Amino acid sequence: MKRSWYASPYALWMVLFTVVPLLFVCWYAFTTPSGAFTLDNFSKIAQPMYLLVLWDSLRLALYCTALCLLIGYPTAYFLASRDFSRAQSLVVLIIVPMWMNFLLRTYAMMTLLEDNGVLNTLMRAMGLPGMKMIGTEGAVVLGMVYNYLPFMVLPIYTVLKKMDYSVIEAAQDLGCNPLQVVSRVVLPMSIPGVVSGITMVFMPAVTTFSISRLLSSGMVYLVGDMIEDYFISMNNRNVGSSISLVMLVLIILSIGFLRKVDPDSEGGGLW
Amino acid sequence: MVQDMRLIELKGVCKSFGDTEVLHDVDLYIRKCEFITLLGPSGCGKTTLLRIIGGFEMPTSGEVLFEGKDMTGIPPHKRRINTVFQKYALFNHLNVYDNIAFGLNLKTPEQLGVKTKAEKKAEIERRVSRMLKLVKMEGYEKRSTNALSGGQQQRIAIARALVNEPEVLLLDEPLGALDLKLRKEMQLELKAMQQQLGITFIYVTHDQEEALTMSDTIAVMNGGRVQQIGDPKRIYDEPKNAFVADFIGESNIIPGEMLEDDLVRFSDTEFQCVDEGFEKNEPVDVVIRPEDIMIVGEDVGMLTGTVQSVVFKGVHYEMIVISGQFKWKVQSTTMQPVGSRVGMTIVPYNIHIMHRTDMPNIPDNIYVPDGESREEA
Repeated sequence: MKRSWYASPYALWMVLFTVVPLLFVCWYAFTTPSGAFTLDNFSKIAQPMYLLVLWDSLRLALYCTALCLLIGYPTAYFLASRDFSRAQSLVVLIIVPMWMNFLLRTYAMMTLLEDNGVLNTLMRAMGLPGMKMIGTEGAVVLGMVYNYLPFMVLPIYTVLKKMDYSVIEAAQDLGCNPLQVVSRVVLPMSIPGVVSGITMVFMPAVTTFSISRLLSSGMVYLVGDMIEDYFISMNNRNVGSSISLVMLVLIILSIGFLRKVDPDSEGGGLW
Repeated sequence: MVQDMRLIELKGVCKSFGDTEVLHDVDLYIRKCEFITLLGPSGCGKTTLLRIIGGFEMPTSGEVLFEGKDMTGIPPHKRRINTVFQKYALFNHLNVYDNIAFGLNLKTPEQLGVKTKAEKKAEIERRVSRMLKLVKMEGYEKRSTNALSGGQQQRIAIARALVNEPEVLLLDEPLGALDLKLRKEMQLELKAMQQQLGITFIYVTHDQEEALTMSDTIAVMNGGRVQQIGDPKRIYDEPKNAFVADFIGESNIIPGEMLEDDLVRFSDTEFQCVDEGFEKNEPVDVVIRPEDIMIVGEDVGMLTGTVQSVVFKGVHYEMIVISGQFKWKVQSTTMQPVGSRVGMTIVPYNIHIMHRTDMPNIPDNIYVPDGESREEA
């Protein structure tokens, strides 16, 4: 038996649950509910209301990715530093939240941020005025960062940890001061990790749903929520499919862009 | 070379990692334009010593002088020293050209002897291409470092260090990962480069042959101490103690006692020698190189013995001859059959007498008559 046959269970799985559904999505996207060919579904998306939702999704995903990078890179750099011996246990602490379902984590976040939630109660107990947190864009971004941060830290940590320390010594030897060691060697050499981190955070962040609904009490409406609504509440598979398809193309394009930035990266692999 | 041209001087350098003392009170000076090799087994402290000179480690005590000035606390990027690392440590996000130009790019135009940025760029280009020529890697400018073989990567690492025109080049077992033939080639090339550029090379290796081939001076190290410093010939011919004799080349090390000046007794026989200044009847180590023992007829030998084994080594045969309670390693161009009785003579100046040192691993040449030697046990 050829070795490639061992992959046949997965191949079957992929055909049943990826390829066929994708073909369905394409089919619905280009047809009317009665089954006739049409491009109307796409022209609907071009309306300002839909574009605004799309813009909000991209904007919040960008905030989330930028925040994850800002928090994640220094964290990974610190964890990977040679003199830090307790790194392993801290890395586990970063992974532990990922063992729980993201909905659970988001509900936990809700109880923290609610008007009469844990944080507001604490603040009032200390005599501070309460703050409107839930229902704001900030709460949604916070929830997204909370969910996706490990996906930024881990790839960067892995790349930095793999880096040969003698490379850093070589940079010092050739005249780099400590700042130049980071800017000229450590940062450029960790780009592959940054690119996979960005890929792994930005992609799911763009299509976030539920997090936005739960933490904004419906105030922030993102593409993911819209697709969900079309399929479930409005029972309109055709428009839902066309939005999905547009998102898919956007995601593929952005992976392609990242591959251009760093051709050796581990993320993607489509181009 | 003038004795007083001391470029680098180490004074009482000690280094401990936790409770482990890696260097013990090392005094050493390095002259300008010298090719000096720190030679010793792994764990002898040679790499640590090199890293202290490079500024990557701080000595626990003692000081490092550069042209008479203390540079103990100066960080690596401010030393006029460059290093070739054991595993090359190339920047794989940069191509060959940018790797070599790395150090020059960090300098100001004035430091490169030019005025404007454009002139700096041209100057860097000139220096990099000169280096590529020196290491015989012309035409590789745009290549990725990942696409190079080990030998090529090492050439780039050498060029990257030398292009900065350092006063001193440190090399930490740079040829360790290369195959034998390439290593021999690179040894000669490195030596030629050093002579051409007139830079001080400090070279770390555990390969005694490499050290003998390339060095002006060898510092043999063991147990965190410098055992002997000298030119290769002197170290080979006049090892200062049994460790040096054993580590540099092959040798027979036999316990003996010094009866009087120029007369030593070992293996139950008295021998004329050329060493003086020992105490009467002082126990000593006697070192004799295998190639300095002449095989003669049994009736005319100073020692007689039985050939236990013969191995063909290319240029010569290496024989183990059992004489009295010792196994003698003898190299000769003529073969004696196993089991034959032979005589051995040694001329006085080939007998090297050493003060006894505490070397537990030395007497592996004791022959135990019931057939079990310590070596085989």
